[in-house]
Amino acid sequence: MSKDEILSKVKEAFVSVLEHDNFQLTDETTADDVDGWESVTHMMIISEVEKIFNIKFKLMDLMNMNNVGDLIKTIESEL
Amino acid sequence: MKFVRKLQESIENHIDHNALCINNIFYTYKDFANEISKIRKAISNTIEDTEKLIGLVTNDDIQTYATIIALWLEGKAYVPVNPSTPVERNIRILELTEAKYIIDSSKESDYKDYVVIKSLVLQHTEINLKPKQVSEDQIAYILFTSGTTGQPKGVPITFSNVEALVDAVDAEPEFNLLPTDRCLQMFELTFDFSVVTYLFPFLSASCIYTIPKGAIKYFYIFKLIKEQKLTVLTMVPSIINYLRPYFPEINAPDVRYCSFGGGALHNDIAKEWSNCIPNCKIFNYYGPTEFTVYSGFYPYHKETHQKSHNGIISIGTPQKDALYLVVDEDNNEVPIGVTGELCLGGPQVTPGYWKNKERNAQSFFVRKENTIEQRYYKTGDLCFKDKEGDYQYVGRADFQVKIRGYRVELAEIEFHAKFISDKKVNMVALDIINSLGNAELGLAIESEEFDIKEIFEYMKTKMPDYMIPMHVRFIKEFPHSMNGKIDRKKLRTYFDIKNK
Repeated sequence: MSKDEILSKVKEAFVSVLEHDNFQLTDETTADDVDGWESVTHMMIISEVEKIFNIKFKLMDLMNMNNVGDLIKTIESEL
Repeated sequence: MKFVRKLQESIENHIDHNALCINNIFYTYKDFANEISKIRKAISNTIEDTEKLIGLVTNDDIQTYATIIALWLEGKAYVPVNPSTPVERNIRILELTEAKYIIDSSKESDYKDYVVIKSLVLQHTEINLKPKQVSEDQIAYILFTSGTTGQPKGVPITFSNVEALVDAVDAEPEFNLLPTDRCLQMFELTFDFSVVTYLFPFLSASCIYTIPKGAIKYFYIFKLIKEQKLTVLTMVPSIINYLRPYFPEINAPDVRYCSFGGGALHNDIAKEWSNCIPNCKIFNYYGPTEFTVYSGFYPYHKETHQKSHNGIISIGTPQKDALYLVVDEDNNEVPIGVTGELCLGGPQVTPGYWKNKERNAQSFFVRKENTIEQRYYKTGDLCFKDKEGDYQYVGRADFQVKIRGYRVELAEIEFHAKFISDKKVNMVALDIINSLGNAELGLAIESEEFDIKEIFEYMKTKMPDYMIPMHVRFIKEFPHSMNGKIDRKKLRTYFDIKNK
């Protein structure tokens, strides 16, 4: 799967949890940049991403995930 | 006040120990004593003696914690305001308490109309931790919780209320913090649970570890447990609900104590969680803000102590000097095994809601017991007492819900949403349980779909973020029950939220 495909699926997960699409996702995007992305919705997004890609993240990876770039890298390593 | 003197001794006798770990930076009790002394000097230089209620902007830094202790040493109360809450709500809180002074460690203060002590830029001074005399009925802090009429409700807690809390927890032989303990402090300082997560560690010269604002709380807590080897955890149950999918990866043998509070703890998850912390004692605490944080606990153990009702673990027995009374609608005690409203009496009860006669008449009552007039607070929690004397939580008697440990009046959300809406339609706020067992807020609107951007923007200026509904559904006609009331249970089924 190309990075763009991954990114577009990740965006789907964000939209379905946050119930809006008023944001852009790049490698540098963090929770501060997206309305409604905080601790609770983050957990929901992670769980949605796991479902979409049929993967299971490790707590150690999640612990050090700071932006969308980290998320995509972790997805790539799991695929 | 004894507990303030004990704080002084604890700090002075452990000057080389770590007191706080904030964003990976450690501060010793000496650093803490220095900050406290600077702030206290500024307080006594700036604020007149008669001015007792002082605003405190709750940043995640050493100055904010030092301010609490400095105010107590000066015999004053802190009125915490959260910098991430709408300024308008915070100013309303300051107006209600008539606070004129604010202590703020922010680089730029939002409170231009107040006298602001900037705690970040104070001159160095000699350490002075000697407390001033205070009288028992003086206020130590005032916290504000959600109110049904769109107005936050103030709960003042006196120095003698805090003294009684410290006394009761000290009397508990199962719980003893040590200077070597590393304790989680995950709470906003506007939330009453935070009082026990900084006060008891400071009294024992332990070190507290905070959560930076903006961090993903759940993973940061795990990171602290793993990397800093925390020994004492005090949490709301929703934390472990969110961490549950990762339990197989968690093994934390260093954790000695884990206290839960601020929401129902479920039996199944408690059992799984106790496998992650094999050397730990688990306490299921109960207590409302109005009773100075804790009123009692149940000592959970996955093999020997797992009493529960409908899957919710017992709240156990009252702690030292706390009185529990289960009553019917006329405030008469009900027999053992019968469900009623739990009322609390004893030295930890607040003197009453801040300037709110009407609420006080509803929420407190006096009962003659032998020759003593005992004052009780009605918690709104439905409970029963079992034959062994343990109390069991059953549910709420009203429309108050717990969102991530915070108390939320659904009526307050409805009030603000309806107030700003051009369309005068029915709106109902609901708590909806997601797949991880946590409550999220939904707003049901009885109408064809329309643009709700303005309503949400308005709500965000009026309420903290945890009170903003995460889900909205338009329903042409609300379902009603037999007696004509809106059927909230059925309404919930319209919220087909993710991760079910």
